Amino acid sequence: MSERLAIEELLHAEHLPHLWCPGCGIGMVTGAFLRAVLALGLRREETVVVGGIGCSSRAVGYIDVGTVHAIHGRALAFATGIKMARPEFTVVVITGDGDGAAIGGNHLIHACRRNIDLTCILFNNRVYGMTGGQLSPTMEAGRRASTAPYGQTEPAFDLCELARAAGATFVARGIAAEVRALEKMIRQGIEHRGFSFIEALVPCPTEYGRRNPPAGAVDMLLSDKARAVSVSEAAAMSQQELQGKIVTGILHHDSDKSEFQAGYAELVARVQGNRGTLGGN
Amino acid sequence: MERWHYHALQEAIDSSTLLVQGNRACALGALDAGVRFFAGYPITPSSEIMETMAYELPRVGGVFLQMEDEIASICACIGAALTGTLAMTATSGPGFSLMQEAIGYATMVEAPLVIVNVMRVGPSTGRPTAPSQGDVMQARWGTHGDHPAVVLAASNVADMYRLTMAAVRFAQRFRTPAILLADEVVGHMRESFSTELIGRYRLTSGDFDFTPSYVHPEMVREVHPPHVLGSKTHPHVTGLMHDETGFPTDDPAKSDQFLRQLHDKIGNHRDELCLYDVKNEGKGRVCIVAYGSCARSARAALRLAEQEGLPVEVLHLYTLFPLPVEIIQEVARRVEFMLVPELNLGQYAREIRKMAENWTTVISMGKVDGTLLTPREIVDRVAELIGKYESV
Repeated sequence: MSERLAIEELLHAEHLPHLWCPGCGIGMVTGAFLRAVLALGLRREETVVVGGIGCSSRAVGYIDVGTVHAIHGRALAFATGIKMARPEFTVVVITGDGDGAAIGGNHLIHACRRNIDLTCILFNNRVYGMTGGQLSPTMEAGRRASTAPYGQTEPAFDLCELARAAGATFVARGIAAEVRALEKMIRQGIEHRGFSFIEALVPCPTEYGRRNPPAGAVDMLLSDKARAVSVSEAAAMSQQELQGKIVTGILHHDSDKSEFQAGYAELVARVQGNRGTLGGN
Repeated sequence: MERWHYHALQEAIDSSTLLVQGNRACALGALDAGVRFFAGYPITPSSEIMETMAYELPRVGGVFLQMEDEIASICACIGAALTGTLAMTATSGPGFSLMQEAIGYATMVEAPLVIVNVMRVGPSTGRPTAPSQGDVMQARWGTHGDHPAVVLAASNVADMYRLTMAAVRFAQRFRTPAILLADEVVGHMRESFSTELIGRYRLTSGDFDFTPSYVHPEMVREVHPPHVLGSKTHPHVTGLMHDETGFPTDDPAKSDQFLRQLHDKIGNHRDELCLYDVKNEGKGRVCIVAYGSCARSARAALRLAEQEGLPVEVLHLYTLFPLPVEIIQEVARRVEFMLVPELNLGQYAREIRKMAENWTTVISMGKVDGTLLTPREIVDRVAELIGKYESV
């Protein structure tokens, strides 16, 4: 079976065309995710994708596995409940920079800390697209937004640094212009037993590009590509040389740290094994 | 051995009477009703529910999670509920406020879920260890949009047990969040607790199958087909307005139909959902309508009133929402006054007034100083009302 046919089977054709704007990078990364699902041979009944609110989270409406379109910022909390109730499921969270790093930032750091076996793909377009181009916590200082008409003055989050510091055991960053590399990262992230955080930089020509040159979709992809350096390249560069660059690849991978659900299962086994001594009879 | 532990209790309650705290009884009711997933965040005066679940759930192979806040807690519960796991969370006013958006989501996606709110004096941080009934209207209208609500109120330790079971039953049968309210004092007080006591207050007719299941055999008709994660249909679940397929719709006719259907599945079953108890039925000129701790004061006030020759009856409500319209109007037709003692400034009295004012005079008796309404205070007010009536 060709990949193309199988990809179509993973999509709700009746709900297409999708709602994303021309030139949007979300579809490219969603495609990478679907190819990763195919490559891993995941069963649809035991695969659940949870999205929050925003442009990227709407991907869940097109993907034909178990999908939950949750409330703003809380996709990781929903996913935590699903994974703990059904440990055999593969649970993936699709979120954006507003959903995952602003309103949902607290859940992100705690999911990282727990090292629960979820894969979080954060589509970072550095703007609130769906609500009309407001500033996001990943927007670089000086950029303009509908709520920062004079340029925004806050520093931006480095989300991969945040995830690593908070305890995530698989941390990777990719760009939409290098979608094959992203597909591989997502595949590895899903295979990794622990919390996997994958930041995918995507262009938003409609709400970001219109206020911040370069404006066009292709130029935005090329701009990210020009700034991208691999982890190995970055290792040989000074802090000064890394200014303005986007470090891509697998930034952190630790397979030794205890995974949350497995740890809980051990606790249950221990407590149930000891019922006679702990119990009330 | 700590006496409140579930396994100890299971064996002991058949043969003896134990002293059990309200919050513990709530957790025990949840376990007996098949709740196997609890996610929560500590808050006074509800924490003992969570602590009991932390101890007991691993022992029965269930899941206990202490989440980073109340929003995460209820969202984790909804996630579990969508897989067909029976889930519950417990909190108090400030945490209950944080949960409101998710309560609307659970209502919208028809996820069965139990939320316990042990009420403290508010607004804001208020008085965390003082009893209150200030969250009654928040329980009804806290989340945005037009939505139905199932809200129960516990008045004693046995209630905490059996109303938690009732909440589980309603959540499953109606596939909706069910809210159990308790005043701080009900959560924290310790009382005699036995199967005999529970049985004496049997609330619902017939036996109920408490087997945890998302597709409950006794599910009411007026719901969309359940979409269970992990099933062969690998469904889509969304808080957007959706049709029976689970996918979003902007169709005005379908939106209208779904929203009305959500209301009808609660409103059409008031006879089953509205739990109450009438004391001294038909013998009062004044009916004291009460719930929670005030219902206990009202029951004691009834005994005082009888001694003092005052014609009083008591309507004890266990279900606040859906509104028990039929019994309120039935009582309103025969009494001169309905007196509504509450630990708030008349939140539920306003609801009763809307239902009853065509037939009777509804008097609100609110108290918000963080102390209980005493039977004496209630009887004095009854005497005053009757005296006033006599003098007209």
